[in-house]
Amino acid sequence: MKLINKITYWFIGIVFLITPFTMYISYTNIKKKIDEAEVERMKDVNERVAEQLKSGEKPDRYALGRPISITPVQGPLPVKQTEVTEANFYNEDIKRRECRLTVSSFYMVNETPYRISSYNYVTKSDQILSGMINALVIKLLLIILSVGITARLLSRYVLYPFRQTMKIINNFDIKKKDKIELPATTTREFKELNTFLEKMTEKAMEDYASVKEFSENASHELQTPLAVIRSKLELLAETDIDACQASLIADTQNAIDKLSKINRSLTLLTRLDNHEFATSDDIKICRITKDVLAVYEDWIAHRGLQVRTDLCANVPVRIHPTLAEMLLNNLLSNAIRHNIEQGMIEIRLTPSRLTVINTGLPPEIPTEELFLRFKKSNQSADSIGLGLAIVKQICEVNQFDISYAYQQGQHIINIHFNVAENTAPQRVTGGRAAVT
Amino acid sequence: MKVLVIEDNKELAGSIYNFLAAEGYICELAYHFEEAREKLLLFPYDCILLDIMLPDGNGLDLLRFIKQEHIQSGILIISAKDSLDDKVNGLEGGADDYITKPFHLPELHARLRAIYRRQKLEGNNLVSFNEIGLNTDTLEATINDTLLDITKKEFDLLLYFVVNKNRVLSRQAIAAHLWGDYTDNLANFDFVYQHVKNLRKKINTARGADYIETVYGLGYRFNASRT
Repeated sequence: MKLINKITYWFIGIVFLITPFTMYISYTNIKKKIDEAEVERMKDVNERVAEQLKSGEKPDRYALGRPISITPVQGPLPVKQTEVTEANFYNEDIKRRECRLTVSSFYMVNETPYRISSYNYVTKSDQILSGMINALVIKLLLIILSVGITARLLSRYVLYPFRQTMKIINNFDIKKKDKIELPATTTREFKELNTFLEKMTEKAMEDYASVKEFSENASHELQTPLAVIRSKLELLAETDIDACQASLIADTQNAIDKLSKINRSLTLLTRLDNHEFATSDDIKICRITKDVLAVYEDWIAHRGLQVRTDLCANVPVRIHPTLAEMLLNNLLSNAIRHNIEQGMIEIRLTPSRLTVINTGLPPEIPTEELFLRFKKSNQSADSIGLGLAIVKQICEVNQFDISYAYQQGQHIINIHFNVAENTAPQRVTGGRAAVT
Repeated sequence: MKVLVIEDNKELAGSIYNFLAAEGYICELAYHFEEAREKLLLFPYDCILLDIMLPDGNGLDLLRFIKQEHIQSGILIISAKDSLDDKVNGLEGGADDYITKPFHLPELHARLRAIYRRQKLEGNNLVSFNEIGLNTDTLEATINDTLLDITKKEFDLLLYFVVNKNRVLSRQAIAAHLWGDYTDNLANFDFVYQHVKNLRKKINTARGADYIETVYGLGYRFNASRT
């Protein structure tokens, strides 16, 4: 719900809630004032009549034609000099309830107590109420209408800086080095928000840049000496050396290879952590799977593995192409390396998931732990133990779910893409593609 | 071939110099941005090896300078940054190829040769050595004009050997050349062995000389002096 609608609804709700109370208050107030005025007036009339009586005049001048009665009363004068009574009754003639207000005053005239009563018909409370309700309907309609209209007009003006800020934040890209520029505003909250956002984005950009710089430096500062060592060893290998020296060089070269790979993998993990591979494009995962599979063809053949593929064509997945390639590279090379001779690899791709199954020895540590850095199961000491950590990190960055299970001699890695299944892709490639 | 090596690390530049000088190339070194700029203005080169990170400037700026001055040299970028931006920027900026540290010297050489071939021998994509002929365009290999039935990988391997003749090619260098950077785990030695064995067999069958010899413990060498 839009902010302005929310505020409008709340406002109208409060008006509705308050209205009965205000109505009750104004109703009782109006009624009280009318009665008071009437009582006051009749009291005054009674007073005059009493004065006339006292002076011995005939009270006709006042009483004539007026709803007034003068009766002598028995007994002493009541404590209260005036008495107000209200009588409600139904008037058959005009077919509505009426209210008669009677004011009786007691006076001592010539030692005799008299009661002088005046009465009058006053406006009945329901009539006031119905009049008020009529007014209220119009009043509420007016309030709702004006609140609705002014809210919209005002929001356009008052919330303009807020909307601009949202737009700018939406378009903010941490990789571009320019700072965000938010519109000036006089609203305090928006000012605070803008300062906060400016600070946050600046900090985020700084952090991003420093991590990026670190990974680049780590990469540069380590890879250059490695390049020196490797090139010197290669030059050394060209010289006249004996078998013993050759094997020393070979061992050193292996170590450099490993070091370089570890460095590269760790740098990659850092860059994944830093979200340097953001993308807004979808790629077709099946094509990349086929490409990567083609690269490994030789190795698969060399190990005598059987490959079964069941790939849905046109599965769009939002992932950076380099990452997709790395993901499949790591998954497939693992499936090949940790396989058994004459084993099997199965790759299944559906619009929602990618499954890689391979035969292999049971893992020596719980499968979930294999995702940790430098955790290796048994065999294959030639691997560096970062492949699955990278796979997991790539999945996390792209919000894929990954699971690893070992069942009946098969390693099963499942990647769930979490995509909205909008298009129904055709199944084109199927069946078995045996590579021998 | 005349090559300018722009690399701030003196040891690495020295290695490259040694390797290329042994191939009979005229090789010049530049350790700084300014030094490189001067040399580029004064002398023509066939190929330029360009390091991206220089102490007094960025290699990509130098690349821009080369293009501005219309210097017609092939350019191979060397970078320690494995970052994709650099690769894309470099290639879009007009570089011919890109190689990341730590590279194998034979790999650097092979790429340099490939650039040089494209640069100088327009249309002629034939690399030959004695009875061996390699067409880098059609990926066809011939021995004494008979077509050799080899796979693409074997073709690449043979080309790599011919370009780096008389050099020791380690198994790592061969694996990296054939399967690229990301296929890290392929440095499986009997796997390289298998490919070399197949290639030798095929050359033998076609009555070519057995140039490829094993260097104990290290790898292989294409011995040009064999007959």
